[in-house]
Formats: sequence, structure tokens, C-alpha cells
Amino acid sequence: MGIVVEQREESSAISLAGTVDISAAAELKRALLECLDRGRPVRLSIGSDADLDVTALQLLWAVEREARARQVEFTLDGRLPDSVGAALKDAGFEGFPFLF
Amino acid sequence: MTNRAVSRSNQSNAEQFKQSFREEAREIVADLETALLEMSKDSSDPELVSRVFRGLHTIKGSGAMFGFEKLAAFTHNLENAFDQVRGGKLQMSSELIDLTLAALDQIRAMIEEDLSSSTADPAACEAVLVKVQKLCGTQTSVAAPSSAPVEPAAEPTGAGPLRTWHLHFAPGAEMMVSGANPLLLLRELRQLGGLSARASMAAVPPLGDLDPERCYVAWDMVLATASGPDAIRDVFIFVEDSCELIVEPATAEPVLNGTISSEPDAQRRSDARDAGAPPPESGERRATEGRRFTDNASTTASLRIPAAKLDELVDLVGELVTVQARLSEVASNSTDPNVAAVSEEIERLTASLRENSMNIRMLPIRATFEKFRRLVHDLARDLGKQVELTMEGADTELDKTVIDQLGDPLMHLIRNSMDHGIETAQKRIERGKRPTAGIHLSARHAGASVLIGVSDDGGGIDADAVRNRAIEKGLIPADASLTQAETFALLFRPGFSTAKEVTDVSGRGVGMDVVRQRVESLRGSIEVASQPCQGTEVTLRLPLTMAIIDGLLTSVDDAYFVLPLAHVLECVELTRGDVERANGKQLARVRGELVPYIRLRRHFDIRTAPPAVEQIMVAETSGGRFGFVVDQVLGNCQTVIKSLGRFYRSVQAVSGATILGNGAVALILDPERLAQDAVRAEQRNGRGRASVAPGNRPGNSFNFKALGGSGSAGPGSSANV
Repeated sequence: MGIVVEQREESSAISLAGTVDISAAAELKRALLECLDRGRPVRLSIGSDADLDVTALQLLWAVEREARARQVEFTLDGRLPDSVGAALKDAGFEGFPFLF
Repeated sequence: MTNRAVSRSNQSNAEQFKQSFREEAREIVADLETALLEMSKDSSDPELVSRVFRGLHTIKGSGAMFGFEKLAAFTHNLENAFDQVRGGKLQMSSELIDLTLAALDQIRAMIEEDLSSSTADPAACEAVLVKVQKLCGTQTSVAAPSSAPVEPAAEPTGAGPLRTWHLHFAPGAEMMVSGANPLLLLRELRQLGGLSARASMAAVPPLGDLDPERCYVAWDMVLATASGPDAIRDVFIFVEDSCELIVEPATAEPVLNGTISSEPDAQRRSDARDAGAPPPESGERRATEGRRFTDNASTTASLRIPAAKLDELVDLVGELVTVQARLSEVASNSTDPNVAAVSEEIERLTASLRENSMNIRMLPIRATFEKFRRLVHDLARDLGKQVELTMEGADTELDKTVIDQLGDPLMHLIRNSMDHGIETAQKRIERGKRPTAGIHLSARHAGASVLIGVSDDGGGIDADAVRNRAIEKGLIPADASLTQAETFALLFRPGFSTAKEVTDVSGRGVGMDVVRQRVESLRGSIEVASQPCQGTEVTLRLPLTMAIIDGLLTSVDDAYFVLPLAHVLECVELTRGDVERANGKQLARVRGELVPYIRLRRHFDIRTAPPAVEQIMVAETSGGRFGFVVDQVLGNCQTVIKSLGRFYRSVQAVSGATILGNGAVALILDPERLAQDAVRAEQRNGRGRASVAPGNRPGNSFNFKALGGSGSAGPGSSANV
């Protein structure tokens, strides 16, 4: 499991790697909320070895919605790793505009 | 209810769902077409690729869910191709774009197959799939559309025949903390056969309220498998007590699914789980739950309803407006203050109801505009021309009835423009133009009208050729003296064409006549402006609404007239002194500006003496300010427009009639046409617009009495109908 948050002057960067599941859900929510509260653009990167469970996915979805409401930029840095994309597709998340 | 009745009800509901799918699919296909055409200009935009992929996936998934298996199987192959493009395994190419556009034509036909005689062409489908397969470099998935399974990616297991199932799976509040992983369950389900899953995020609460250790996501799925329902439920055996699971054969009522959206019914399902509602256990219970969810779909944030129901609503509101006018009339003659109070309240509510119901019918013109992208793309290819379509004001809203009628006229104008107006790239270069021509569609409001423009930067209209052709066809005498506008108006005469040859696109002289007829049926008008070698602009002026308008009620003697309020600028008095000072000219000085006017008394041949002081209603027209003289201005009124019927359809200056509270008929005037009639009459008499003189009756005059009005048309009054 790996959640790395980097608060920069002009933006916040949050990186996810390895297994991000229910055991990390509370920490992930806290980290994402902190980034949003700063009001600076939030950049998310997902490592090629990342394995996100449904709690992480719904959290990202809720954060993206919240960011839009607060007018805070929330973007995915780089491409979605193929393995993660395939897993999301299997799970019926193609309509997830933030990631796809 | 008997079994037969239940069966009929189920069939009816299934048809309703199919109809909902068709409506959704039509929109998705239109969006796909737009995205593909945008992609043909910029194939590097990954968002466009994703948009096409999502659209195809939705058509496939929903299609399978609602019994369009052939459609789902066909679309699956295209979806695969775009999945490869997304994954960087396949290069986007103009060939793939053209193939997908061709495939969309077949998809359209498949969507409508149950409703019309149009069917998808199996040979064309096969050809598309073979080419897509070649592009993808794969040997799989090219199955005949009629026999392909929903999801050929996985081999169904089990011994029985292949069946399609609808599944709804919603994890309960405690399911995640018990260690279960819904994604693994889906993966396991996929082992049973072809699975198409859609996650619904409708129950995900705001971030602050979100319990990070709980799953709020629910899934609606279509599973094609030879396994039976028990095998499907076995996948969920360890979580069955902590989730909501519905397994139904595809022939039964499907559970309405939601993609990533906010649906209150899904929220209620979530609430029910929160409240500790036990999950359904028996098959009977499950079926009941399924129907309940379906019924709850009626409370979603937006609804699709048949257009006929809307029309019925507007008709009823129209009747209500008429009755309310009668009530106001009764109240004004009553001494009972309660009657007046009730009447005022009803008037207020009727006005609100009218406004709301009319707003429901207002739609942006974007969808109508967008569908011409494909037409321009295909025609440009067929004609060997380079053409770019641009749009402006696509969010302009106008009445659905008007929008429904606009498709054909715009199509004819665009075809005509591309075939005759726009030059080949070579010729454009010779003329010092950029090789790519432009067609511009625009829409904007102008008072109570909306102006729809179709312009191009082509060769323009050759006014001499139009004139010569008209003389040749005997439409005008050889010595006719026509203004440019009158010359261009000849283009809209039946059978008129200056084209030297008839092509597949245009040249028969039918299209422009269709444009004129359709625009006139909408009480609109057409203006054409053209410059040689620079281009042509055709502007359609159309009313915003066709049903109810705010009007200004006036009278001349005992005849009533309504002018659309949106056209009226002000009312000023016209005394006999003013008339004498004008030296016989029909001009009034209003705020320092000379405004020409016509007398409705004279125009409608009402042969009684005018009062000492008349009223000029000054209206804005496309030709500037124009006055209409009446005896009295009675006040504002909501006006339900009733057609005058076919018998009076040639009377252009009257756009309809309405019934007043006292039962009398009032004519609804079209200020634009009325002013044009007056100007034309004066031009025929060799005078200018600014000298509309008394005694000249415009040609398009009208016998008010003939309509059953209470006007006092005398002997010799004419009805030019």
C-alpha cells in the first residue's frame, strides 16, 4: 500500500501505488480532503502496480465531484496504467470520466 | 389481476423500456457521429476516443439489456477497436472513422428495426466488421450480427442453452468490513459467460458524509450464460445476507440501470439498506423488488415523455387560458369582490402555468444543427469539395414544434449551398480563396422571432441567371423590373432551378420550394443576401412559439386585433390634426423619427368613420419601425393561437385567430408581413416606403366578416384568399 502526498507551492500531488483497499480508505480520504481544503490544484498519479478496490474508486469519484463543486482542479497526471484500466473496465467503471 | 393481464402489462412495460433505450440510443448515435467528425479533424484527442468508446459501450450494454442482442453484438466489435485505440495498440485512422460512421448507419437501422421497415443491411454489417477486424489485426469477434452472443470475449460455461440475465447487485453497509470484495465477485461472475457491467455511483454521498469503509456502488449487469440462476447466485453465496441481489431472465422487466449519475431511486435503495432492510430471499420477493425499482424510476431527476403528451398539455393550457379570459370578463362585470379576487388569482396561476408549460417545449437547436455535420462530411466527400461546417448560437432555444419542422429546410439549404454555391478547391484557389470552403449555421433571438442563418463563402447567386431562367420559364415578363430581393425570391418558386444539370444532390428545383412551404407553414419568412464570388446567406425568420403568445388587444370599430407584444414598442395618439399636417402622407413623427403607418380600418376594409383620436401601435419589423393605426388599445392579453385553417392559408398578414373572453374572435396580426404588404403595395404604385398613402389597399386584403368576426365589412369588401 502506498499513498504519498506532496504539498507544493502551487499544487498538491498525491500518488497511489500498490494495493489501495479498505485498509487504506480512511487515510486516503483524509489525505484527499487535506489536498482539497488547500484550494490548490490537486494532481493524482496512479502507479502501474496500483490495485485499487471499490472503496478507493468511490472515494476518487466523490473527491472529483467535490472538487468540481469547489472549483478546485483535480486531474490525473499521466495515463491510467493499462492494468488498472482493464480492472476498472471489468468492474463497469467506463463511465468514470475522470479516469478514462 | 389475471395472469394474462399481468403478461400484457409486462409486455407493455418491456416495450416502454425498449422505447426509452431507442431514444437514448438515438442521442448517443448522434453524439458519436459528432465526435467522429471532430476526430476526423483532430485524431490525436484522447478525450474524443474515450467519448466514442463510452458511447459504443453504452449502446452495447444497454442494447443487450433491453433485448437488442444483434445490435449489442455488432457494436461490441467496434467497441473493441476503440478500446485498442485507447490502449495505444491501434492507430486512429480516417479509415476507422469512416468505417465507424458507416457502422453507425447500420446501428441506427438496428435501433429502429422494430418500428419501421428499415433494416440493417447484413452485407454492409459484415463488410464493416471484416474491415474493422483487418484494422485491428485480430481473428476474433467478427461474428454475424444476427447470431453473435452479447459478449463473445468469454466462453459461457454450463450445459444448458445460452440465456441472458439481468442482475442487480448492491453491497450492503457491512459487506466490505466483512472482508468481501465486490470486484472479485464480478470477476468470478465473468467466468460464467459474457458479462457487461455498469457501475452506478448514484448512492455515493457527499465527501464529508462518506464512510470510506463502506461500498456505496451498485452494479447493473447483463450476463449471457448457459448456467442457471442457481449457479449465478452461488457466486454471491457468501455475501447474500449482506447485499441486495436480483437475478432475472432478460425477458422479464429489466431493472433500470444508472451509469455514473445521481438517481434518487438508487439513493432510496441505499437508504433501505441503511435502515437494516433485510435483503430479498425468495424468488417471489426478488421479483417484487425488481418491479418496485422499476416503478421508482419515475422519480428520477429528469423524465422522458412522449411529445404527444406535451402537446396535449399545451392544448389544455390553451383551453384554460381561453376560459380564464372569460372568467376575467365575468369578474369585471360582477360587483362581488370575491369573484374579482378569485379571478385575479386564477389569472396569475394560469399565466404561470402557461409560462411553465411553454418552457417545457423549448429546446436548444443544437441537436438539429449537429446532425448536419455528417451531411456536410459525406457530401463534401461525394462532391470532391473541401467544406468546413461551423456553428453559432446552437444553444438558442425555440419551440419543439418549430425545431421539428426545421430539419428538412436546413438540409435543402445546405445541399443546395454545397452543390451549387461552394466551388471546388481548385476554383477557390484560382479566385484567391482558401481551398476549404465554409458553411456557417447560426441561430439567434430577435424579439419574438428566432433567426436561423445558413451562409457560405462560395460563388454567390448569379442574379442575372436567376432572372433569365424565370423569364424562360414564363414566371416573369421579359421587361419585369425586380429588386434583388424579389429576384432571389424566385428561387423559392416551385420547380425553379438554375442548375444546368440535375445531380444526386440538387438541381430539380424541388428543395427550395420545400424550404418556402415549410417556413411559411411555421409563419416564418426567408431572406436571401448574396454577393458574387463572396457567398450567400439565407436567413429564416421563425416565431419562437407556435401556441400561446402575449399580445396587445386592440379594436377597430367592433373588430378585434391582437399584435404580438414582443413586436410592439409603444402606442401613441394620432389626431385629425396630425393627419392634416402630414399632407396626405401616412407618416407620424414619433420621438423625432418619422414612422410610416397603415390604418387597419382601411387594410381590412372596415367602412365606418374613425374616431377623432386614433392610436398608432408602433412595432419593430425587420424593415424598421412601422405603425398600425387602430381605434382603441384595450390592453394585454394571453393569446392562444388558433389556426385559420387551410381556406385562409394564403392570407399572410394574419397569423391566426383567438377567442376572447366575450366570445368574439380576434385576428392575430403578423406585423412583419403586414408591413411588407404595405411596402409592396406602395412599391407597385411607384412610391417609396415612406409615403404609404391613404386610399391604397394592399393586395393581400382580408374580409374580417368572412371569419365570423364581428367586423362590419360592407358590400364590395374583398377576401383575397
